[in-house]
Amino acid sequence: MSLTVWTVIFTSNNSAFGYSKESMITYIFLVAFLQSMIIASSLNGLASRLYSGEISNYLLKPINLFGLFAIQEIADKIKNLLFLFLESLFLFLIFKPIIVFPDLKLFLLFLIWSFGGLILNFIITLLFGSLGFWSPQVWGPKFLFFMILDFTAGKLFPLDILPIMLQKIIYLTPFPYLSFVQIQLFLNRLNSQDILKHTVILVFWIFILGTITNKIWKKGLKSYESVGI
Amino acid sequence: MITIKVSNLKKYFKVYKKEPGLWGSIKSLWKRSYETVKAVDDVSFEIAEGEIVGFIGQNGAGKTTTLKMLSGLLYPTDGKTTVLEFNPWDRKPEFQKQFALVMGQKNQLWWDLPAIESFHLNKAIYEIPDKIFDETLAKLSKILDVEDILRIQVRKLSLGQRMKCEIIAALLHNPKVLFLDEPTIGLDVVMQKTLRDFIKTYNKEFGATIILTSHYMGDVKELCERVIIIDKGHKVYDGKLADIINKYARNKILSLTLENSITKNDLEQFGTVKSFKNNQATLIVPRKEATKIASKILNQFKVNDLNIEEVPIEVVIREIFGAKKIH
Repeated sequence: MSLTVWTVIFTSNNSAFGYSKESMITYIFLVAFLQSMIIASSLNGLASRLYSGEISNYLLKPINLFGLFAIQEIADKIKNLLFLFLESLFLFLIFKPIIVFPDLKLFLLFLIWSFGGLILNFIITLLFGSLGFWSPQVWGPKFLFFMILDFTAGKLFPLDILPIMLQKIIYLTPFPYLSFVQIQLFLNRLNSQDILKHTVILVFWIFILGTITNKIWKKGLKSYESVGI
Repeated sequence: MITIKVSNLKKYFKVYKKEPGLWGSIKSLWKRSYETVKAVDDVSFEIAEGEIVGFIGQNGAGKTTTLKMLSGLLYPTDGKTTVLEFNPWDRKPEFQKQFALVMGQKNQLWWDLPAIESFHLNKAIYEIPDKIFDETLAKLSKILDVEDILRIQVRKLSLGQRMKCEIIAALLHNPKVLFLDEPTIGLDVVMQKTLRDFIKTYNKEFGATIILTSHYMGDVKELCERVIIIDKGHKVYDGKLADIINKYARNKILSLTLENSITKNDLEQFGTVKSFKNNQATLIVPRKEATKIASKILNQFKVNDLNIEEVPIEVVIREIFGAKKIH
């Protein structure tokens, strides 16, 4: 849909909000790609799995719980990748877009950042999931999170079309690191100083949220009631 | 060797009490009353290698909670547990490879897959070598007579068949310690017997230490020499099953067949008359005086047959729980 919207916008202009038609189309394809690779998660039902006592089976066995979740995530992403490929092929045939690729160095960094984003999202999902140790009502905060994410990860529109003040606020959250900065890098819209800054911040978020999640899980497992079995 | 050691184990749950109805739900938004439930309260015991111990208790007595703490699923509020010299809570793989928890009301098998697939998954998880896996599987499925259903979707199996497959899944890695929580629940008598025999064999063959909880006294009577009785989170008895009767039964049962017809009143001087019909009577008499009373009856009446029996163990246990005043 956004592909259609932006195509219409670009019929009258050659560039909008500092994006050329080609970059915007690349942007849209990248958003779709990163949406499946980073944000989509098989662990969205984790809280109810905890609350219902379903994970007891795994806790009894010599399995690393986080390892298990990670593998489920990877399997899910591989499945997404397959569908994404078919979908993109279809869209390519209709729109015949020109995708602007960065040089190899940037592309590799893009892959690394995307992987970082994936880990960050995995941690955030585990953090939300851990609420299930205490309450089954995670749907509310999760819904809010998805709404915020749609606007702040750059899914609906590039963040740099927003007022500077708003952008600054958004950059204080981990959300732009779940898609937007990766796309900016791909489109070659970052200078070396930005690249360094975002790398540090991405690592910082992974570290901070990772530590918090780890602590909460340890606490959660202690109050785990293993009901239903 | 002591395999399981539990000292002063406690598990308290904080539960929220909600008033019924819509108004109760609304009220609970700003005012909630919590209550601490002492599921397990200061329980200590030791179990030696190769023992089969029965856990007896009413619903909510704390049996399953104790087993869950011994398995590392629940974090104890206080106290210490050691199983095979490990602290279960650490959930070390070396520990987890040596025990199994089987719960009658729970599935570990994949519902939509044949049981054999779950067995292969467990083989990978527990890192069971091919040869041992094949041997154990062949042996277990033969004893439990499930060889022809291993390739059928679990959802299509009957409760009994599923339970047997659950047991196999739990035993593939030859655990040294086995926690069986209501393993015979919902099974018919034939199946119960098969399972009991199997548990006995497993215990002998592997020298496995087994804790068994069951509502069926039959299970406990047949399998466990020693029992631990838990009531409202407390341990109330720990010892030989046979000793429960000596310790707690206050009465014995006298069954009589009389030659002449007498009245119920004639017998009531000796004890409580439980039944009286066609010259057949059952009397409940104080345990210590049972023989004395029997001889008195023999002197006074013409008796064809007289039998002194112990009160059934179920009744004694019921009395311990104080659920029903008996005999």
